[in-house]
Amino acid sequence: MGHGVALAHGDNYINHSKGLKSWLNTLDHKRIGIMYLIAILSFFLVGGIFAMLIRLNLFSPGSTLVSPSKYNQLFTYHGAIMVFMVIIPMIPAAIGNMVLPMMLGAKDVAFPRWNLASFYVYLSGAAIACASLFLNGVDTGWTFYTPYSIRTSTSAVWVLLGAFVMGFSSILTGLNFVVSIHKLRAPGMGWGKMPLFLWALYGTSVIQILATPVLAITLLLAALERIVGIGIFDPALGGDPVLFQHFFWFYSHPAVYIMILPAMGVISEVVPVFSRKPIFGYTAIAMATFGIALVSFVVWGHHMFVSGQSEFANFLFSLITMFVAIPTGVKVFSWLGTMYKGSLHFHAPMLYAIGFIFVFTIGGMTGMFLATLATDVHLTDTYFVVAHFHYVMVGGSLLGFLAGLHYWFPKFSGKMYAETPAMIAAILINVGFNVTFFPQFILGVLGMPRRYADYLPQFTTLNRVSTVGSWIIAAGFLLVLFYLIHALLRGKKASDNPWKALTLEWQSPSPPPHENFLVEPVVTDGPYDYRGAKAGPI
Amino acid sequence: MGSHEVAGEHQVAHHFKSALDEFEACKQAMWIFLVTEVLFFSGLFVAYTVLRVFEPEMVKAAHHFLDWRLGALNTVFLITSSLTMAFAVSASQRGDNKRVVRQLIYTLILACGFCVVKIYEYSHKFHDKLLPGAHFGNTELTANKAGLFFSVYFVMTGIHALHVVIGMGVILWVILRARKNEFSPNYFTPVEITGLYWHFVDLVWIYLFPLLYLVG
Amino acid sequence: MADSNQHHKNHEHHILADSTAKQVFVALIVLTIVTVATAQVDLGIFNFAVAMLIASVKASLVFMIFMGLKYDHRENSVIFGSSLVFMACFFVLCFADLLTRGDVYVKGSILPESLVSQPSKFPKAWVSTQELVAHGKELYSAQCVSCHGAEGAGNGIAAAALNPKPRNFTVADGWKNGPKPSQIFGTLTKGLNTMPAFASLPPPDRWALAHYVRTFGPHESAQDTAADFAKVGVDPNKAEDASAGPTSIPVDAAIDLLSTD
Repeated sequence: MGHGVALAHGDNYINHSKGLKSWLNTLDHKRIGIMYLIAILSFFLVGGIFAMLIRLNLFSPGSTLVSPSKYNQLFTYHGAIMVFMVIIPMIPAAIGNMVLPMMLGAKDVAFPRWNLASFYVYLSGAAIACASLFLNGVDTGWTFYTPYSIRTSTSAVWVLLGAFVMGFSSILTGLNFVVSIHKLRAPGMGWGKMPLFLWALYGTSVIQILATPVLAITLLLAALERIVGIGIFDPALGGDPVLFQHFFWFYSHPAVYIMILPAMGVISEVVPVFSRKPIFGYTAIAMATFGIALVSFVVWGHHMFVSGQSEFANFLFSLITMFVAIPTGVKVFSWLGTMYKGSLHFHAPMLYAIGFIFVFTIGGMTGMFLATLATDVHLTDTYFVVAHFHYVMVGGSLLGFLAGLHYWFPKFSGKMYAETPAMIAAILINVGFNVTFFPQFILGVLGMPRRYADYLPQFTTLNRVSTVGSWIIAAGFLLVLFYLIHALLRGKKASDNPWKALTLEWQSPSPPPHENFLVEPVVTDGPYDYRGAKAGPI
Repeated sequence: MGSHEVAGEHQVAHHFKSALDEFEACKQAMWIFLVTEVLFFSGLFVAYTVLRVFEPEMVKAAHHFLDWRLGALNTVFLITSSLTMAFAVSASQRGDNKRVVRQLIYTLILACGFCVVKIYEYSHKFHDKLLPGAHFGNTELTANKAGLFFSVYFVMTGIHALHVVIGMGVILWVILRARKNEFSPNYFTPVEITGLYWHFVDLVWIYLFPLLYLVG
Repeated sequence: MADSNQHHKNHEHHILADSTAKQVFVALIVLTIVTVATAQVDLGIFNFAVAMLIASVKASLVFMIFMGLKYDHRENSVIFGSSLVFMACFFVLCFADLLTRGDVYVKGSILPESLVSQPSKFPKAWVSTQELVAHGKELYSAQCVSCHGAEGAGNGIAAAALNPKPRNFTVADGWKNGPKPSQIFGTLTKGLNTMPAFASLPPPDRWALAHYVRTFGPHESAQDTAADFAKVGVDPNKAEDASAGPTSIPVDAAIDLLSTD
């Protein structure tokens, strides 16, 4: 980086042009990523407040904080906001947008205008969905199962259409990423030298492209069911409500991997950097990413074991679901293999990555319990399911997101956050998470059903532990917010490559210039060749 | 690649290495978009197949209330418009903007023909109360669940017709650009990808016609 | 990318010849006529197969020639092909359920004959007997004890979570619907406040519960009149099963049905 450093540090994407309008009309992927990040974190705050209210209401049995019908709305909004507005776009649209073109060594994504359009489409969809908050609310759960979603007197149509619109944003992002990866890789970057985060985003984009349109038609048909009464999903008119579940889960199961694959990609970046070792099993991880993406399309029926689906289909889906464990296991063992005998550096991103591996393994293993037909019949709609998917979505996606946020923060802000509060926050969030959700596994096995405002008195103790855990998580997040804002305002200047990482984005100044690189990068070595001098400590 | 020596207004975007790279990227994006379209329509095809498999008698009885001659006429309209679109694309590749405009106007006229027939069909359905689900009120068609057939009919053909209308808008935009002589052998991306979209609209109709009008 | 740049340089845009386009057009029109013609002949299930076969030939002409996949990069063929593969997954797995869902499309009664016309063990169940009270006690310990408590004092384990509190059967006053057998029977049928309806229990079982619940307290004086019986639709003179309300499937029978299905 000997050349042009002074020039580079004078002009970067943040000060390249000034004023709010230069941000709102920007075609720069880094700025679009930051706008996504701000929007997503705002929705995360809203969804998080709903989560805290849910836990507070369950602190004691009986009607405590909210009425049962308000409680139904609380968990519906918590689910819908967290799934459609936070976790699905969180890593691809926010972090991915910033990082992907830089990792490719490109100046931008393939279609910058569509990239900006996707952001505004996302905002409009979110606005439509949130409009329902000021009408009659919605109480169907984020799954909108028919026939209840047809009959409910709440404003379900708004949320259906909002999610429909947000789907287009997701498709646009996926389309942009696939074409960018196909056409804009730096000279020398063959498929085998592509960083694993890009492989993960590639797999994610494929799912977004193939699955989201089915969600679109499902939500459209459900909305028409309410508005016109077309009857395809309405048993009263001769339709089949279980068909709705097939349609819905054809998208929503792969969507689970839209949430987790990018997080796995982040972990695949962070683990070798902070272990100072080449990644173990590069090809295996890349192929496992695709294995997961493909298998994800043929297992959706495991959400429907007690829906009235035929026993043959139950058996078939139970069997196929088991195969998800193979590529997932390949990844977990590859990360562990990377850390084995590495020289581990416990900076904040690595703490989140280790937390990810721990909780994701628990989430994944309990997924196997639920894939087992007979066990699932007992556990369906209990807190065991709630704990399982929070271990995967919060423990998986959210910890992956936090790892990525802390890993790339110095690159894109040009500032370094304080190390000690970052480590305390990482420990608080990891501990708080387990305190919140582990008791829910036990509650589920004991038979506490989900989606009720109340519970039997014998479940009180475990529910209280869980609620206290939610306060610990909240404290952790507030701490993160505090020191990151502090870092933005008065943080130390970050160097160009504070983690001594080898992927292309670190070859550019921090923060990067408008067109990402001062000289067009050429790839000669692999992204994880931590050997010899390159394997030195951070 | 010499994108600068090319006549015409088009500037290759800064992050592409050449005009050809940009063209290939745009074309691939269109193909990916068409993939999402296939999966979007697949939901409707599943819903249709459910009816066809579990209510065969009803579907058979209900399809007699659709006029296959009008469906066939619309098929001819769309196939012919695909031909004129193919002519327009190859004309743009040769830089013959006049022929592009001419062939696209033919395409638009054929698309209008399709829409007129569709509106005629829809108004008859409304008049005879051959309506979706809850609104079905035709007394001649007594088959059980016949409303569901018309739900599928209206949603499938309605979404297809929406695609036709959007396509007409895009074709109009391409015509305006061709009149300004914007296309040349080095830059004809908008015509090419509009062509892909339009052929796809034809492709969907190729399946809708026998499925809805010719149950047999 | 160096290699593929090389490839790009050698790659010429393919221009579709007008004559080829016209040939495809003629083929599409001819195939449309063939589809219409075959639809007029009744081939049974083959109508559908033939129609789909012809449509697929037409579709492949469109995407191979008009849309140019034949002359294009293989990448785009793989992309478009993937949509067909995943659409097939969608179809196959949806129908793996729909086509094997036997129970939904059974015609007629799904209950075995023996269950439908089984004569009741308790004719005239509204008249209290030793057997009925004993039967009621059995049912009570399974269905009611969690809220109303073993002693009938309304203090079961779940009572703490309920508001209003469950009925205390041992006291005479405060019965919302009254303590007569027919009145308790009515409460069991329709439910009351947080208590759910027990209409799924057969009527004799509900009568048995009513008689048993009355043994907890001083309710001897509260007896049914003809008007009370009329309210729950019972004619006390008929020696028949008091079958007020719709027939429903006993849980045991439903489980048997499921396991033999």
